[in-house]
Amino acid sequence: MKIPRLTTLASLAVLVVLALFPVIGIPLSWLNYLFTFFICLALANMWNLLAGYTGLICLCPHAFVGLAGYTLAIGSWVGVPFQAGLIAGAAVAALFALLISFPVFRMRGIYFAIGTLILPEALKAWFNYWRPVGNVYQGMGAGYSVTGVEGVTLGDTFWLGLAIAAASIFLVHIILRARLGLGLTAIRDNENTAASAGVNVFRLKLYSFLIAAFIMGIAGAAYYIYSPRINPVGGFNISWLLLPLMATVIGGEGLEEGPIIGAAIVTFLRFLLADYGAWSLFIQGIILLVVVVVMPQGIAGLLRQVGAYRFPLRLFQAVEGRIHENVK
Amino acid sequence: MSETAVLSIDRLNKHFGGIVAVKDLSFEVQAGEILGLMGPNGAGKTTLLNMIAGTYSPSSGRVNFCGRDITGLPAHRLCHLGIARTYQIPQPFTSLSARQNILVATKYAGKKAAGMEHDKIFDLVNLSEQKDMLARDLATVSLKRLELARALASNPTLLLLDEVAAGSTDAELPRILGIIEEIRKMGKTVVLVEHVMKVMVEAVDRIIVIDKGEKIAEGTPGEVMKDEKVIAAYFG
Repeated sequence: MKIPRLTTLASLAVLVVLALFPVIGIPLSWLNYLFTFFICLALANMWNLLAGYTGLICLCPHAFVGLAGYTLAIGSWVGVPFQAGLIAGAAVAALFALLISFPVFRMRGIYFAIGTLILPEALKAWFNYWRPVGNVYQGMGAGYSVTGVEGVTLGDTFWLGLAIAAASIFLVHIILRARLGLGLTAIRDNENTAASAGVNVFRLKLYSFLIAAFIMGIAGAAYYIYSPRINPVGGFNISWLLLPLMATVIGGEGLEEGPIIGAAIVTFLRFLLADYGAWSLFIQGIILLVVVVVMPQGIAGLLRQVGAYRFPLRLFQAVEGRIHENVK
Repeated sequence: MSETAVLSIDRLNKHFGGIVAVKDLSFEVQAGEILGLMGPNGAGKTTLLNMIAGTYSPSSGRVNFCGRDITGLPAHRLCHLGIARTYQIPQPFTSLSARQNILVATKYAGKKAAGMEHDKIFDLVNLSEQKDMLARDLATVSLKRLELARALASNPTLLLLDEVAAGSTDAELPRILGIIEEIRKMGKTVVLVEHVMKVMVEAVDRIIVIDKGEKIAEGTPGEVMKDEKVIAAYFG
């Protein structure tokens, strides 16, 4: 019998322990923190897939989150159950990504970034006026509550968040080891050379964009099941961009473990600094600045540089060797 | 157009705004031939390669490859059809190792590239000892060879080489000539842009000289070197 690599087992163990949290009486505030962490992690993972591995500085995650949230909310008013609304929200986000890909992929680098940044603003304005179902709200379109989620417990949303975060990690892991990952890295490093080497640059960028939009959408919709009220200012809020951006840059862009470390730090800071209002952003900005200057490859980059993973990996290898011997 | 032509260029033009980079250029390259492209700086050689490889589309005119009109096709399609190119200034995938650099080509260039043996390519271009190094850590000379390796890895019919010898020392030239000779033995058709005269004279079958985007001379290396227009273009 082949023994699974211990690193895989260890991450599975972490997953199982986390999944047990709601049933073993962990304080509810912890579940709240962790849920926020999961959503931030899923967004950061996808932002890393785009910026870190495909070279697309995508500044419109809040478009995907807002659209998915609104799809869920509006769907819930016409009798769509929230489970279907969750998937529909992600699908609408991906569809939106498909529609905008043709114009925005014509731009490169900073122009792509700016091109994507204006989209959520346009959507925000649109949803201020557009209200397809229900009564007009304060003279305009604007806010919705999500109905039909009264029976969903914090434990349920916790599991949903955990599943989405785990799926996002697994997805990136698979992509990076597949042909797609090699092509995306080639595009990030040099678009022209990638094309000369036979890479269909547009198609591969589109794949990565659609995957990211779908996962960001589903993460956004999950958030609006957890906090079932959406309005244009909240749904298309730029903090949906800043969270994954900060998490990725602080953790380590283009490194697989970067967003995990970064999302943990960003979530922790968010709660730690929650009472300080505007100062919170100021402090986070300072931290971002320090990280960018002191460790341009993020915390994960620094950890790799000093060889921090060597000891646990060796330990795993030693333990694995022992197990192999005993099995024989 | 003759039947054995791998590449056939017909009245090709390219202008950038008011600047004419390539003007009414026509020529053919036969199967297995090594054609040299010469010309002073800014003559339009690289622009021409860019149009054949799909980086630019021509303003007018036709490009035929193996009897097929490929004018304006995107670069990745041309790679799939069998055209590979190197860049004058090496353009590697900097975060990947040398081996992964050419893996991109073998994985994405289609079926014809599937059986390419990386070790043989690395041996040919003399990069075997550096194949696990990251491209960003390689010296310029090695990066030039990596360009060649990546182009060969897609197993092309037509190879466009943009100044592979530029920047090499005299001592390295025999090696480069040897590589070009090996490529000829593989039966590949080559268009070679080069400033290093020794390479031009020894490696190519035929030379086309362009100046200000126009063809001014064509013939064997010996003939071209004596051509008055060529001497005038180079020495004024």
